[in-house]
Amino acid sequence: MGLRGEAAIVGAAQYKPEKYATAPQMFHLEQVADLAARALEDAGLKASDLDGLVINGPQFHEASVFVPAMAAEYLGIEVNFAEVVDLGGCTSVGMIWRAAAAIELGLCEAVLCVIPMRMAPFAPNEDPAWMAQAMRFGGHSTAFGAPEAEFDLPYGHLGQNTGYAMIAQRYAAQYGYDQAAMAKIAVDQRTNAQYNPEAMFCGKPLSIEDVLGSKMVADPLHVLEIVMPVAGGAAVIVTSKEVAARSRNRPAFVKGFGERLSFKSPSYAKDMTVTPLAEAARRAFAMAGVKPGDMDAAQIYDCYTITVLLSLEDAGFCPKGEGMRFVRENDLTWKGNFPLNTHGGQLSFGQSGSAGGMSQVIEAFDQIAGNAGARQLKRCDQVFVSGTGGVMSEQGALILQGG
Amino acid sequence: MASLKPMPVMTEISRPFWQGLNDGEIRIQQCNQCEGWVFFPRRHCSHCLAHDLAWRKVDGRGTLYSYTLTRIPTLPEFADEMPQALAVVELEQGVRINSTLVGLDEDEIRVGMAVKAVLDRVDARGNTLLRFTGADKALESLPYVDPLAELPRNDKGQVQVPVTNPAALQALVSDEFTGWSAPIEVNQALIDAFAELSGDDYWIHTDPERAAKESPFGSTIAHGSLVQVLQSRLNFALPFDITGFSTMVNYGSDRLRFPAPVPAGSRIHARARVKSVQQSRKGTVLTLEVNIHVLGSERPSVINDLVILYR
Repeated sequence: MGLRGEAAIVGAAQYKPEKYATAPQMFHLEQVADLAARALEDAGLKASDLDGLVINGPQFHEASVFVPAMAAEYLGIEVNFAEVVDLGGCTSVGMIWRAAAAIELGLCEAVLCVIPMRMAPFAPNEDPAWMAQAMRFGGHSTAFGAPEAEFDLPYGHLGQNTGYAMIAQRYAAQYGYDQAAMAKIAVDQRTNAQYNPEAMFCGKPLSIEDVLGSKMVADPLHVLEIVMPVAGGAAVIVTSKEVAARSRNRPAFVKGFGERLSFKSPSYAKDMTVTPLAEAARRAFAMAGVKPGDMDAAQIYDCYTITVLLSLEDAGFCPKGEGMRFVRENDLTWKGNFPLNTHGGQLSFGQSGSAGGMSQVIEAFDQIAGNAGARQLKRCDQVFVSGTGGVMSEQGALILQGG
Repeated sequence: MASLKPMPVMTEISRPFWQGLNDGEIRIQQCNQCEGWVFFPRRHCSHCLAHDLAWRKVDGRGTLYSYTLTRIPTLPEFADEMPQALAVVELEQGVRINSTLVGLDEDEIRVGMAVKAVLDRVDARGNTLLRFTGADKALESLPYVDPLAELPRNDKGQVQVPVTNPAALQALVSDEFTGWSAPIEVNQALIDAFAELSGDDYWIHTDPERAAKESPFGSTIAHGSLVQVLQSRLNFALPFDITGFSTMVNYGSDRLRFPAPVPAGSRIHARARVKSVQQSRKGTVLTLEVNIHVLGSERPSVINDLVILYR
């Protein structure tokens, strides 16, 4: 069952995360073209090599339907495989395995996976205030008949922070809680960001005291345990083994994947402290025929520190309930014994909407390809990547292996 | 009355749940096929997908599955409840419900604690939300406190609402209109004077003989804009008086319609209601829906959503 492991990431590009207020505004179609051109250049391939397209459907500025056709037309390409992925922060991981699967099915040879996440220019008579209005409820639907509109919003249950906070609180009651260990996740990742000039918080080191002294947002989560939303965007090229052979980079083969979607609101989880990643990662490792201990690095989706903690446990890097001890006893920096989120993670790199998760995919690829600059791991052949959407609602895992 | 906070909009499916709360009962669904309990309300069982769910009254006892204390409001509208104790409660039946905890100190809250339901009536219409408190607390329900009740009244009997009191301003919003104003007559002399003033002397307003023959109304009719401005002569009695602002500006209209004609010689009267109150960067924006009718006519001759800006 699963992939043969013959499709590979061969090129990537992403915008340096920037504050929304100062980032350039570009139409999403133009970002798609720009990111595609940069990723193709990185791969050493041409636009005419592309015959597959995977794109984010939700939040695409210039269209809400027929997004792939509009984007393919803009790129001037025809494709044998077109897909929209709607998995929030799990979109990136979801795109990569869908592209790999389509390639192994023989549908296509070279797939562009792209997520434009800079703001588009405002129309001449557009009131920028609508944006703030539209963002008010975060990922919560306000549509008539949407269960969350009716049963969550009236009580103040909305946005991501409080959902993750309640997961952390439940975890604390079941297994105990060490605030300093949680802070160390953010601090070790911040150390990594000091070696990544593209990271939002490069040049701004962080201490455990800083994290614990930062404002409490929703108990037990401090503001420095929560990602900063930024403008950005990312593209990744996935190809067949044959196309990979003529690309410039060392390819990162997609050896295993898993995907699991368990609920929309974690309140309805069977067990709030067991994440969908448990099943997704189990499948990914089994498909690739490897174990967590075989990984040279882990690029774990980190919208919050609690996401990282539960992912470490549920992906099998440490036993359930021992995540805090694992964090305390291991050096999670790129120089350490357990390199985690070597680009800084989204906590220190910045979270550009659903492109944020692509930063983890791209870091895994860059480490395997030897393109990680000052933070390059000495040896990096196998990397675990995870994606997380909603409030731990949908998660995915990838096992990437250098060719 | 509308609240600034998001309110549940019940559907055909959820009506028994919300109606139950309004009537003082907690009702959730149970599947007749698999006996599984279901929350939130649905048509199909979330355990076996059978289209066979029954509403059952439950006592609202359960345990606290998890919670968080919000130190930053999840919406500005919840600032008055800070810190909110957002909670996931697991009822004895096994279903989980998102809610908030009330009547508990922060250090009394523990995951796993026994809780019981508190019915919280949140508006004058009886709309009720389901909150929870410690099982050992005496609290059973939270009565509705009318934010207008404690405010002083002026010599006309109008409640005096400070522009700085958002809860009281929201309580003015209503589907109910004021009583009718005293009527006034719109005669041909008034119409002619308006025609001269405005320059709009189209025959349908100014030529009774031709209008008797050719007008679909059988007579001359008043200009819509004349009837609109006659609002100033129609003194409907607003039950409130906004106070504490430095300027009040007629900011125009969000909607102006003339659905029915006013034939010359008609008597008209008006009534109004507060359609919305919103805070904007410009100040406090009150939208007053003014309807002007010919006496005895159901259909308004003028609908004017008048926007008044206080700052």
